[in-house]
Amino acid sequence: MHISDGVLPVSITIGTFAATIALTAVGVRKTKAESLPKVAVVTSAFFVASLIHLPLGPTSVHLSLPGLVGVLLGPSAYISIVLGLALQSLLFQFGGITALGANSIMMGIPALMVGWLFKQLKGTTLKSHAIAGALCGFLGTILSVGFLAALLYTGGEDFLGVGKIAFVASLPVSIIEAIIANFTVIFLFKVKPELLK
Amino acid sequence: MAIVAIIIRRLLKAARDRKAGHHHRHEHDWSVPVIDACSDLDSVFHKWDPRLKIFSILVYCFLVAALTKIIWAFCALIISLAAVKLAKIPFRNTKRRLMAMFGFLGMFLVIMPLTVPTQPGDLLLFFQPIPVPFNVRGLLVAIRIILKAFAIALIMEPLLNTAPLPVTIQALRHLRVPDMICQMILLSHRYIFVFLNEANRMYTGMRVRGFRQKTNLATLHTMGNFLGMLFVSSFNRTQRVYEAMLSRGYNGTFPVYTDFFARPKDWLFGIAWILLGTGLLLLDRTGAFIIW
Amino acid sequence: MTGPALLSFGETMHDLATDVEVPKEGQNLFQLRSLSFSYADGHRALQDIDLDIFPGDRIALVGQNGAGKTTLVRHLNGIYTNQAGSLLYKGQSIQGDNLIRARRQVGILFQDPDDHLFNNTIYEDVAFGPMNQGLARDVVDERVRKALERVELDHLMFKAPNNLSLGQKKRAAFAAIMAMEPEVLILDEPTANLDSRQEKIFDELLLDYRGTLICISHDLLFLYGLCSRAVVLDHGKIHHDYSLKELVSHRASLREHGLDFTFRFIDCCHSSESHDHSKESHEHTESHEHSENLDHLALSQSDKETAVRIITPPMESVPDEKSQVIRLENYSFQYKDGTWGFKDINMTVKEGEKIAIVGENGAGKSTLAGCILGVKQGSGKYYFKNDLIMHSARGELWRQIGMVFQDSSDQLFCPSCEEEVAFGPKQMGLSPLELEKRVTEALALVKLSGFEKRVPMNLSGGERKRLAIAAVLSMRPQVLILDEPSANLDPRNEELLLHILHDLPVTQILISHDMFFVNNSSHRTVVMNQGSILSDLPTSDFIEDEHLVGHQLDYAYKNVCGREIMKMQEEVENGG
Repeated sequence: MHISDGVLPVSITIGTFAATIALTAVGVRKTKAESLPKVAVVTSAFFVASLIHLPLGPTSVHLSLPGLVGVLLGPSAYISIVLGLALQSLLFQFGGITALGANSIMMGIPALMVGWLFKQLKGTTLKSHAIAGALCGFLGTILSVGFLAALLYTGGEDFLGVGKIAFVASLPVSIIEAIIANFTVIFLFKVKPELLK
Repeated sequence: MAIVAIIIRRLLKAARDRKAGHHHRHEHDWSVPVIDACSDLDSVFHKWDPRLKIFSILVYCFLVAALTKIIWAFCALIISLAAVKLAKIPFRNTKRRLMAMFGFLGMFLVIMPLTVPTQPGDLLLFFQPIPVPFNVRGLLVAIRIILKAFAIALIMEPLLNTAPLPVTIQALRHLRVPDMICQMILLSHRYIFVFLNEANRMYTGMRVRGFRQKTNLATLHTMGNFLGMLFVSSFNRTQRVYEAMLSRGYNGTFPVYTDFFARPKDWLFGIAWILLGTGLLLLDRTGAFIIW
Repeated sequence: MTGPALLSFGETMHDLATDVEVPKEGQNLFQLRSLSFSYADGHRALQDIDLDIFPGDRIALVGQNGAGKTTLVRHLNGIYTNQAGSLLYKGQSIQGDNLIRARRQVGILFQDPDDHLFNNTIYEDVAFGPMNQGLARDVVDERVRKALERVELDHLMFKAPNNLSLGQKKRAAFAAIMAMEPEVLILDEPTANLDSRQEKIFDELLLDYRGTLICISHDLLFLYGLCSRAVVLDHGKIHHDYSLKELVSHRASLREHGLDFTFRFIDCCHSSESHDHSKESHEHTESHEHSENLDHLALSQSDKETAVRIITPPMESVPDEKSQVIRLENYSFQYKDGTWGFKDINMTVKEGEKIAIVGENGAGKSTLAGCILGVKQGSGKYYFKNDLIMHSARGELWRQIGMVFQDSSDQLFCPSCEEEVAFGPKQMGLSPLELEKRVTEALALVKLSGFEKRVPMNLSGGERKRLAIAAVLSMRPQVLILDEPSANLDPRNEELLLHILHDLPVTQILISHDMFFVNNSSHRTVVMNQGSILSDLPTSDFIEDEHLVGHQLDYAYKNVCGREIMKMQEEVENGG
């Protein structure tokens, strides 16, 4: 779910861009210079992951995985989200170029939050990792839809209805993201646990 | 009422999926369009200095995003269509971009008229089975958004598809976007295709052992493993790419190859676009011509 | 594009192979003393390495998968730092200015070219190194063009790497290294996954190189023509460091290190018979002649592998009454962009038969396999067990046909071996009890019993290949398709694979450009070239066919090489 061009008021558009630039700069400073190419390549993996669709009854859903981005990349997550969104905008036009700032905020901040949360909760056993992963997967998505609704609301009361409905509609997707995150974290724990450090 | 809206939304998505060709039960095809496939054609846009092109069109985009009246949003859309034609971009590219936004915008179109708070002066229509009034103002708001979104989406094609991607990114660099960011965009873009191939092959490997996606936990388990494998493989790949970069002397900066030369024509064209956008916005905000 | 002319045998191979490099007086290029290195997970990759490398050395760095070869070479340009001991490059340790110098002068070509091609055009990739060397733009431009011309890729200069074939990517990566004009060239499995024509191209490119060369490869025949000195690594330690010729002459040493490739010459085991291979039939009805050699060869192997002895699998031709399992009539396949994968193929496979499909990379073999498997849909008639397969039935073919991909990584996605092997049967809906039975059975067939809880990613290359086979076998397919099964396997694993496949009664379709493997494992050979079947004949006839040379599938060069080595080995065993 990405916001497209033309939805948000000008002040919000500019404001979120400014915030994105600031947060990206912070992320770059927190990431070691030699890790930046690595973040770029991992972003490609997330990009490809977001293309994968999962069945949900008669339709299918695409996952955006902000939770997993946060879990795997930690403080560098924001950069990755911005990069991924920029590429999606360039390649697919999912969310407009003018909404890049807003979309980054919408997905990037939950990713950062969830990344921090995962570190606190993950514990040492497989089970604790798995539960933390599921929780973060769920929160990542729910929070970003929450941000979406909030951003839409800045456009006025008219958008409240859309926001509320988007929120409700995103519950099934959030549950799926939670389950997927759970299984993915279990896999990573068994196969390459250093990724979860 | 919310449930009705959700159902409608689901149906929209299903319709979109069917259109996109998900009837291939035996095959999957995740593919990514090439950004600069048309970059070797020839037009005004192709010849334009990329730095000026990017700067002026982006300014134009933001100006269009600020429009508040339908009539001017519609004008912007016409201008975008003209630009696409001028840049000789084939229609299927533009169609692809428009289709991608179908879900999000479709949601607005359906939901807004049913959920906007009624304001004095609104025109309300009542359709018999639906308990909620259909607010025409809501419809107009949605239409306005759609027009703007389309206008900006369409102009992205002449912006991006008229020069090879590395050139476009180099132009960004000249516009003072940090070097590292530019390189990361290029790196990410390069490896998307590598991972896409890996993912496709792995998914085929899963299918030939009988995996079929169904709405159940086992599917999610397998897909979770699949994603996990994708990430592990990508992390291994980043390590190796980084080592390859180091082995060829990488020291933190990427070399620069392209120089740009701006002709007076390029400046004029750039200014023209900015004026165009400013003009639209002025007309929009001063309320000339029509009310909505 | 015509390939390079066949190297005249006497000219090049002997020159290098007979010179045993005498350490030159004066400065050594690299000096390693007691070098040790462990990975973060505790795995001790290198222990107490003492090694001297001199300018002009041509070293073959060999050893089994996991012996530490890749780890070792990554020290030589400073990517890894040794944790104990010392490493000197040109007399100084690799840090600071010397690190920069090492990076500029030592070029490493990694195994996967996609790791090297990280820019958006080939031009930029090849220019990357020289630009980082600080050269002026016009000098760089000249170097790039020269390098790309040398590898015959100049027409693709501004293309993105995404669309290149593997062979092209390898050459592009090679050009990217050579454009830096390195003094030391290190190659990590340069010919992995290449067909023989592509291999020859590489061979020619490398012979031109006059600097210090270190080459990691399993393919001793390839190395034989290139290197003079052999350094053998085993579990992180240097076991041998002498001339390559000495190494290949001692079959016992080769065997000990799992490098013995002589099994590929099944009739070369006859030490008493004359070596007139071109006329000799490849059907052996008697195996007792081998017993003298067997004791000699059945040395103790390392831990997990069971003792593998050379046997000649007798290939009886299949009686005609056996039913046809697969029949293709006028089958064609067209890619999305309009090019034809293959056109008007007619082919039958009988039950119990083992056929090989050979041809260069790009001949259409894998596409054909995909169509048989049902993954791809072509036009024409496809009969499986005499039922015409229509579009809808394609999706069910997996139940009866199993395919092992060229790259095991494409097929392994579970966190444990048992889950992996159980995956297929699980999709078939079998009970947990039955699943367990199948897992145990399949793992035993591929000699991986006891591996149930292991993580597939952490297994060695050979083990992963066998695991992939097990994962397919657990579904009890009627037909087994194997796409380049011997790619990237060291000789020991290749030999093990041959035995496993020989013992399997399943109908097998083997896709390979490895003539030796084909020779030892199939009844019949189908030759494909550019989308059509050129010939379809019993394997023994195929091997002797002179037309092989014309198809550029020739392995006569290698066969000649191999015979040379055989002769040397016998001299050592009989006289020395």
